[in-house]
Amino acid sequence: MKKRILTIAFLSACLFSGLISETKAQTADQVFRAAGTPQAPKVTVSWNRYYDYDGLTEICAKLAKAHPNLVKMETIGDSYEGRRIWVLTISDFNTGDPDRKPAMYIDGNIHSNEIQGSEFALYTAWYLVENFHDNKFIQELLQQKTFYIIPTINPDARNHFMHQANSPHSPRSGMIPLDDDGDGLVDEDQPDDLNKDGHITFMRRKSPNGRYIQDPQNPLRLIPAKPDQPGQYELLGYEGLDNDGDGKVNEDPPGYYDPNRDWGWNWQPDYIQRGAYKYPFSIPENRAVKDFVLRHPNIAGAQSYHNNGGMILRGPGAEEDQNTYNRDDNQVYDLLGKYAEQIIPGYTYMVVYKDLYSAFGGELDWFHGARGIFTFSNELMSPYLQFDRKGTSSADREAEQYDFNQMLLFNDAFVEWTPFDHPTYGKVEIGGFKKNYPRAHPGFLLEEDAHRNMAFTVYQAFQLPQLVIQDVQTRKLPHGLTEVTATVANTRIIPTHSSQDLKYRIERPDYISLRDSTVVAGMVLENADLNLGKEQKLNPARLEIPNIPGMGYIKARWIVKANKPNLLVEVDSRKGGVVSRRFEPDSKNTP
Amino acid sequence: MNINLKAALLGIAFSGLSSVAVAQRDYQSYEQLTARLQKLSSRYSKLVSLTTVGKTATGKEIWLLTMGRDNAANKPAIVVAAGVEGTQLATTELAVQMAEQMLQGAVLQDSVRDLLLSKTFYIFPNLNPDASEQYHEKLRWERFGNAQPIDDDRDGRMFEDPYEDLNKDGLITMMRVKNPTGPFRPADEDPRVMVKADVSKGEKGGYLLYTEGIDNDKDGKWNEDPEGGVMFNRNFTFDYPYFQQGAGEHPMSERETKAFADFMYEARNVYAVFVFGPANTLTEPLRYDKAAASKRIVSGLLEKDAAVNSQISKLYNRTIQPKNAPRVAPSPGDVLQWAYFHYGRFSYSTPGWWTPPIEASKDTTGGKKPQAPSEHDDVNFLRWAEANDMAGVFVNWKPIKHPDFPDQEVEIGGLAPYVKQTPPVRTLGPIATKHFQFFSAYAKWMPSLQIVNISSEKVAGGLTRITADVYNQGSLPTHSEIGDKSRWVQKVKVTLKLSDNQEVVSGNKIQLSNALAGGEKFQVSWLVSGKGYVSIIASSPTAGKQTKEVFLR
Repeated sequence: MKKRILTIAFLSACLFSGLISETKAQTADQVFRAAGTPQAPKVTVSWNRYYDYDGLTEICAKLAKAHPNLVKMETIGDSYEGRRIWVLTISDFNTGDPDRKPAMYIDGNIHSNEIQGSEFALYTAWYLVENFHDNKFIQELLQQKTFYIIPTINPDARNHFMHQANSPHSPRSGMIPLDDDGDGLVDEDQPDDLNKDGHITFMRRKSPNGRYIQDPQNPLRLIPAKPDQPGQYELLGYEGLDNDGDGKVNEDPPGYYDPNRDWGWNWQPDYIQRGAYKYPFSIPENRAVKDFVLRHPNIAGAQSYHNNGGMILRGPGAEEDQNTYNRDDNQVYDLLGKYAEQIIPGYTYMVVYKDLYSAFGGELDWFHGARGIFTFSNELMSPYLQFDRKGTSSADREAEQYDFNQMLLFNDAFVEWTPFDHPTYGKVEIGGFKKNYPRAHPGFLLEEDAHRNMAFTVYQAFQLPQLVIQDVQTRKLPHGLTEVTATVANTRIIPTHSSQDLKYRIERPDYISLRDSTVVAGMVLENADLNLGKEQKLNPARLEIPNIPGMGYIKARWIVKANKPNLLVEVDSRKGGVVSRRFEPDSKNTP
Repeated sequence: MNINLKAALLGIAFSGLSSVAVAQRDYQSYEQLTARLQKLSSRYSKLVSLTTVGKTATGKEIWLLTMGRDNAANKPAIVVAAGVEGTQLATTELAVQMAEQMLQGAVLQDSVRDLLLSKTFYIFPNLNPDASEQYHEKLRWERFGNAQPIDDDRDGRMFEDPYEDLNKDGLITMMRVKNPTGPFRPADEDPRVMVKADVSKGEKGGYLLYTEGIDNDKDGKWNEDPEGGVMFNRNFTFDYPYFQQGAGEHPMSERETKAFADFMYEARNVYAVFVFGPANTLTEPLRYDKAAASKRIVSGLLEKDAAVNSQISKLYNRTIQPKNAPRVAPSPGDVLQWAYFHYGRFSYSTPGWWTPPIEASKDTTGGKKPQAPSEHDDVNFLRWAEANDMAGVFVNWKPIKHPDFPDQEVEIGGLAPYVKQTPPVRTLGPIATKHFQFFSAYAKWMPSLQIVNISSEKVAGGLTRITADVYNQGSLPTHSEIGDKSRWVQKVKVTLKLSDNQEVVSGNKIQLSNALAGGEKFQVSWLVSGKGYVSIIASSPTAGKQTKEVFLR
C-alpha cells in the first residue's frame, strides 16, 4: 500500500513539477539534428510503443504543463466506466481565441483494438508544439488554425484490449454489457485465455479428418489442404469454452456493439446495420464527442483514425447516401486524398461504400452529412509497410505476415502452438498471432507512419479556409454618398461552407460588415464590373454571405452617407474564422 | 345569412370570454395534471405508481403511471403514449380518464383487478409538456416544439420572427390579405373558412393567407422562427426528417425522446405500444407491402405483423364503433414507426378523438334536406361545434392596419388555436370508456406460454428422454415478426434446470424460439441422466413464464 502511494506521489511530481527526471544517454551537444524532428523537446515520448489510458493521460498532461501557450487539456465527458475523455486544444493562444479559428478535429481508437490512432493523434500534438519555436510554417499554422485532438474516444475498451486477454480483433466494442445471443444473459460466454498468456489465439486439433495442413514454407501457419489431399488439422476457433452450456463457444463476448455504427446520420438498427446500439449517440463516449463538435462550429476538417490496410477513406459509408456527397465537395476530397497518397506510400484513397463495405451510422458520415465537415478516416498500417511489394493477393499478404514475423520481428508476434487439454474438445493446441500484430504497427514502423499521417492532417488543416480582406475601394456618389467595395478572398481550397452545408443551411452564413454607422444600403456583388448584385434590405451594414468558396473571393458593396466613411471591414465566419482590417480613406486601398 | 348571424354570435360570445367557454374546454395545465396524477396514485397506491422518466428543459417531469404496480417489470406490458403532438391536448385527457376508469373498475370488478394482476400498463399521459403548456400561457398559439431553443430556419438568429397578437385578443390566428394573385378564397359553404382555389375548376383566389404577425426579419416569410423547439413526434430514428423544422439536430436529440426511449429499451416486457397521436392505424390498418417490407431498410410491416394489425383493427372497430375517423398516415420521425421498426414491438396509433359526424337533422319541414358533409375539414368542424354549442371556436375576420402591407386590406381571424384538438371535456368520458374496453379485450388476446404434453420416458442405461410442447395459448403472437430480427426483443426461451447429480446427454440446456403465433407450439426434447426432479422453464418477457417439474424415471 505504502509503495503504491509513493509511486503515485512520484508520478504526480512528474506531472506537475515539470521536472522530467529521465536518464538520458546523450547530452545536447552530442546530438546532431535529424531534419524534421524536434531538436530538444520539452516532453520526451518514445514513439515506438503504445500507451494505455493512464499513459495517454500523462503525456497529455505533460504537454499542457510544458506548453501553456499552445496546449490546453480539457475533458469532454466521461466514458461508460467513468474515465475522463481528454481533448487537447492546440493553437497559438497569443493570436486570438482558438475556438474562433478554423479548426481541424482528430480522434483515434473508436474501435478499441485499433489502438495506434491514439498514438498518431498524440504524436501530432507533440510534434506541432515541440517544433513550434523552430519552424516558421508551424508557427503560422498555429496562429491561423486550431487542432482539437482526442487521443482516444473509447478509453474503457482500450484498457480492456491492453490489460485483458484479447485477439487483434477484440474487443472493438465499448464496454457496455449486452446480450448478444438473445437469451437474456449479458456477456456470459466470453473468450477464455486458456493458456494464460494475455492473448486470445486459436485452437487447433490434430485430426485425420481435418482439412488443414501445415504450410511447408512456414510451420507456424496452417493452410487448406488441396482438394484431393488428406488433412492434418481441424481449426476450432478462438481460445475459449462454452461457458453457459448452450452448445456455442464465445458467442457473447464483452460488448458487443460497434461504436462506429452509432452516429446520427442515416442511422439504422442492429438488424439492418450489425453493431448499432439503441439509437444515435446512445453510446456515452460518442455523445460526448457529438456535443463537443456542436459546441465548436469552427471545426471545418476532421480525421478519425482506424486500422488497418493503408486506406485514406472518405464517405459515403452507405450506398444509399451517394447523393450526400456531390461534385463540389468531392473535388475537395479528391485534392486532399491524392496529396495523402503521395506522402503516405502504400496508402490508397478510397470511398467507404464502394471500396470497403457499405455501412450505416459511421462517424465520418455524421461529420460530413450532418455538420458539413470535410472528414477522412485513415485505416492505419499498410501491408506495403511490411515488404516492398504492392498489389499482392490477400492470400499472399497473409503468408507475408508470417515471413515478416520471422524475418523482422524474430517471431516476437506469434504465440507458438502448445498443447492444451480442453474440457470439450480434448487434446488441442493453442497458438497464433498475438493481439499486437498484425493490425497494430510493430514498434519500429510506428513513428514513421505516425509522422506521415500527421503530415496529411497538417496539410488538411492548412487548407481550411483562410479569409483575407484584400482591398477596399471607394467612389464618390452625388448627394454626399460614397460607394465602398470590399474584396474578401479565401486563399485555401476548403470553402467556408461545403456544398452539403449550403444545401441544408447547416451553418449560418458568413458576415461581412462595414463598421460605419451611416450605411444606407448594402449588396453582395455577383459581378462588380457590371454592378450586378443582390441587395440586403435588413441590416445592410452586416452582409450575409452564403459561402466564400475555396480559392475564391466575394465582393461586398455598401452605400454610405459620409464623405469619409469609417473603412473598418470585418469578416466573421463560423468555419472560416474572424478577420478585420482598417483601410485609410484617402489612400488607394489596394495593397 | 343564418350562418353569418350565428357566427357573429359565436364571435361575440368569445370576445366576452364567457365562463361556459372556459368550462367546456377546461384542459389542465402541467401543475393541475401533476396534482391530479399524484392524487390518483396516492388514492390507488396498491394498484398504481407514479414515477418520472426524465425532466424537460424547463424542469417539468415526464410522468409515467405504472398500472398493476406489483411485479410490474415481470409482467407483459402495454404502453399507452399520449401527448406526443404538442397540440393534441385531448389525448392527454383521454389517457388520464382511462387510467381513472381502470382504477375505479379495479376496486369494484374482479375482472379489472385480474387484468392489472396479469398485465402491466405503462401510461405516459403527456410526453411533450413544454409544448402543451402554451395553451395556458397569456398568448395562446399552437405550439409543437419543446422548450429547447432551436434556430428553426437555420439562419444564425434565434427566435427572430415570432408571432404577434396584432388584434390583442390573446390568440394567434390568421391574417388574410386581399391580393389578386392570392391563391385562397372563402369556402362556398361557410365564407369564414379560407380554402385553396382550384384553378383547374375555374375557381379564383383573391387572398393571401399568413399566420398572425409581422415579418420581423424582412425575409418575406411570416413567423417562421418563433420560440421553441423540437417536436417529440418528429425526433425519432425511423425515417428521420433531417434539417426539417422541428426535427432537431439529430434523431433522439431531446430530453423527452431520449428519456422515453431509454425507459423503453430497459423495459423488456413491453409487448405493444399504443400511441394516442395524429396517425390512425387502428380504424384502418396498415397494409402489407411486399416491396417495402423486403428492402434493405425495412420500411413496411412484415407479413405476419400486418396480419396482426388487421386483426387488431377489427377488434378496435368492433369495440369503439368509430364514425368519420380521419385517415392520417404515419409521419417521418414519429414515435409510432420507431416503436415498430426500431424498437421491434407491435405498435398502433389513434387520435382517440376526432370531429364526429353531425347527426342528420330530422327537421324536413319546408323541403329541408340533410346537409352533406363538406370536403373541407374546417367547415365540418365548425358545423359540429355549432351543433354542440361550443363557444369561442372562431375569431371573426376584422380589418386591421398592417405595417407589412401598407394600403392593402388586411383582416385577422380564423379558427381559434387548439379548438380542433380540444373538444368539450365531457365528450371524452365515453370515448375513454370504449378504449378501456378495447384494451381489456386486447389484453385477453395477448400471448401466454404454457408447457403441455410433457412426457418422461425411460431409456436404457439410466437415461430419461423428456419431451414437451411449449404452447402459446393466446390469440396473438408471443412477439412481432420484426422482433425476431431485433436484439431488443427477447426470444421465447426454454431452460432445463438440473441439480448436481443430473446431466444432459443430448439437447441444449437453453433453447430459443422465434415468435410463436397464437395457438402455435414448438417441441423440446432432452436425454438426461440422473435421478430426481428436473424443471422445465418456458419464458418470454412479453408472453409470461411457466415452470413444470418432471420426474426422471
